[in-house]
Amino acid sequence: MKKDDVFNETFCVSEFVYTGFMDTFNDRNPLHTNEDFARTLGFTAKVMHGNILNGFLSYFIGECLPDKNVFIVSQSISYNAPVYLNDEVNLKATVTDVHESVKVVDFKYIFRKTDGDKVASGNIRIGYR
Amino acid sequence: MEKTEILEEVNMIFRDVLDNENLVITAATKADDVEEWDSLSHIQLIVQIEKNFKVKFSTSEIRDWKNVGEMIDCIYSKTNP
Repeated sequence: MKKDDVFNETFCVSEFVYTGFMDTFNDRNPLHTNEDFARTLGFTAKVMHGNILNGFLSYFIGECLPDKNVFIVSQSISYNAPVYLNDEVNLKATVTDVHESVKVVDFKYIFRKTDGDKVASGNIRIGYR
Repeated sequence: MEKTEILEEVNMIFRDVLDNENLVITAATKADDVEEWDSLSHIQLIVQIEKNFKVKFSTSEIRDWKNVGEMIDCIYSKTNP
């Protein structure tokens, strides 16, 4: 991988993904489970867990990069807009730096819905061997 | 930049990366001397040092360092060609 390489991957926050996350981690906060509660907070429907996006990042790093011999060193995420059930999100990750001395690649990434709205962004640092 | 100034900046990087505001490193400091300095934090330290001083190290250069002093010498040679 080299600086300015770009990777794209699309994900769907399906019922399977949503219930799988909730059953695994047991976060049943009403924001994520109660439509009426979510609407009282100004959302149009129950909001999907933000850390589902981190799950997609895990898949991206583990399965979508040219080299499978990688590991996460650090990552950050900032949320910009809610994601709802059955939303499709596109992940665009761009290599911002490569540190060959310690075999590290830095990415910045953005998740956008199909209408272009940014839902989250951040940085990932991966190591490779 | 003089070596003393480099050491000061490297010390600040160590404190930030290792999340230890009381850490004081010297030219004689080695990884074994610092509890938080493990293989993963080593990666973060090197990356931050490269960014801070706008230099790039080779794997062999890093491997040859015996202590912080030799790291400082390397940074000095790259920033004072």
